[in-house]
Amino acid sequence: MKISFFQFLKDIFKELLSNKINFLFMCLALTISLIALNTIYSLGLSAKKQVLDALASVQFGKDAMLIIAGGGRIIGLTTTRTDTLKLEDVEEIKKLDFVTLASPMSRGTLEVSYKDFAEKLRVEGVFPNYTIANNWYPKIGRFINENDLKSMTKVCVLGADIPERLNTKNIIGEKIKIAGETFEVIGVLESKPSFGHFRRDESVIIPFTTAQRRVFNKDYIDAVKLLFREGTDMKMAENKIREILRKRHNLFGIAPDDFRIITPDLAISVFTKTMRTINVFLLAIALISLIISGVIIMNLMYANIEEKAPIIALRIALGASSKKIIEHYLIMSLFIAIISGIAGWILSLFLMEIISFFTPLKPIFSWWIFLLSFLFASFTGISFTLIPAIRASQIDPAILLKSL
Amino acid sequence: MVKKLVILKGITKTYYTGRIAYQVLRGIDLEVEEGEFLAIMGVSGSGKSTLLNIIGLLDKPDYGTYILDGQEVSKLSKKELAYIRNRKIGFVFQAFHLVPWATALENVLMPLLYRGNLKKEDEERALQFLTRLGLEKRINAKPSELSGGEQQRVAIARALITKPKLLLADEPTGNLDSKSSQEVMKIFKELNKNGLTIIMVTHDPEIAKFAQRIKIIKDGIFVEE
Repeated sequence: MKISFFQFLKDIFKELLSNKINFLFMCLALTISLIALNTIYSLGLSAKKQVLDALASVQFGKDAMLIIAGGGRIIGLTTTRTDTLKLEDVEEIKKLDFVTLASPMSRGTLEVSYKDFAEKLRVEGVFPNYTIANNWYPKIGRFINENDLKSMTKVCVLGADIPERLNTKNIIGEKIKIAGETFEVIGVLESKPSFGHFRRDESVIIPFTTAQRRVFNKDYIDAVKLLFREGTDMKMAENKIREILRKRHNLFGIAPDDFRIITPDLAISVFTKTMRTINVFLLAIALISLIISGVIIMNLMYANIEEKAPIIALRIALGASSKKIIEHYLIMSLFIAIISGIAGWILSLFLMEIISFFTPLKPIFSWWIFLLSFLFASFTGISFTLIPAIRASQIDPAILLKSL
Repeated sequence: MVKKLVILKGITKTYYTGRIAYQVLRGIDLEVEEGEFLAIMGVSGSGKSTLLNIIGLLDKPDYGTYILDGQEVSKLSKKELAYIRNRKIGFVFQAFHLVPWATALENVLMPLLYRGNLKKEDEERALQFLTRLGLEKRINAKPSELSGGEQQRVAIARALITKPKLLLADEPTGNLDSKSSQEVMKIFKELNKNGLTIIMVTHDPEIAKFAQRIKIIKDGIFVEE
């Protein structure tokens, strides 16, 4: 049995090699569309991974939550009052046993000036635990401490990109103006990835108390970042917090929330949504190209079968059943699929490397893509060879003698 | 009494090209005994190849009965016919019909491949056949590297590897020079002496002389013996 099968495969492979051009074109057609498919799929995975990594790097990978003042859609303008979220609400939320850290903040966009530089930047008033809540630490100087909060000192910590914008090498100790008030620079934060339009590295951080009393003049907060105990049920956490806030804000019945709860999952889906749409579109194109390559294979397979008709007739005359002939050509297409699957996979890895030179996307290695490449190659190869193979099995062996 | 291997009764076959019908076989009756060597002669278009196709189970008659080795075969399915062809019939063709990319040895083993139980012994048996036919040095040669006579001897080895009851030869010397033709016919004679039944189609009287019995077909019917 084993020798038979080995000989059978050998015969198929030799037949395939007997027309190298035909063989090459079949592999080429399939390989090219597989490169497209694999690359697009990897780029999608890579982009998603990048978002996940970025979120994780700002302590928003999991077991975290952001509550923003003002109700409405996740992205877009608020549709309710935005002055209802208070420090007292945060105190209440802190009492929940799964909340390990709460870091409230207020923020606004204010004019920041230094020498001949003047621009509107995002200014955040925060607590010292902001560093832990966002996994964001100063690379030089220090961060805001309890003392700054108590004394409402006018100090600030700058985002990583700002010193360069201010065109100053030694920024620590310099005085900058925020909304007309003079602040001393005490530190510069390390660089962090940005999401959407908000450039995190262009933020100015000041003590919470200073912000409330001397800059914004308000008694409400704009957001609070929460960290949870590992493995907290997010749905449960969200419901409990919503319940507390609605009760404290006197919202009943159908009154909409005057706050927004952002979970890591929600953030991922928001940041990957556009990407996903584009990706689905590109994948559809790749799949169409796969169908085209399938049609090319079908054509070339037909040509091959026409060319090999006397040999197929001979095989039938020698006792090959229809099943055996169909098997023969399906295995042949499987050979093509395996070769193209490997080639398409390897070449797509190269293509990813090249793409990573020109875009921020990093190449990613995944056996899943290898498997995907094989599955699609085999599926395309076999399904488009089925009809030519059945046609081959119906060749009339009588043609062997009719040629006389 | 000698057993009859082939019994044909009232075989007819009509081909249609568009609306025009050609009645190629018009009532063929034939009995071939085991161990016989029969030559069927006829000019081109007389229906001899069609008859050989039917005897070789490559084609089905429109009417008539065909009993091969005691079994009625004219109504069997394609699959059953393939099975019987593989086990009972060996073919030798004018154009040799060897698989071009396979070696002589692989060509010989091909019918066993489709039985799905090729064994090591089979390979040895194939080597024996090739040796007996004087091809021991050519076992790994491709058909394109062999002479016509050598190719036909490979084809004969391939026909014999399944231990068939009936050998069908269609103009086996048609593409060969006279020396190779003589060699091939000597092999046939030898095989027949060892008990193999042979039916051969030819239009060459010199070749037909090697057979014990000659039947002449004309316009789809046997005319004289």
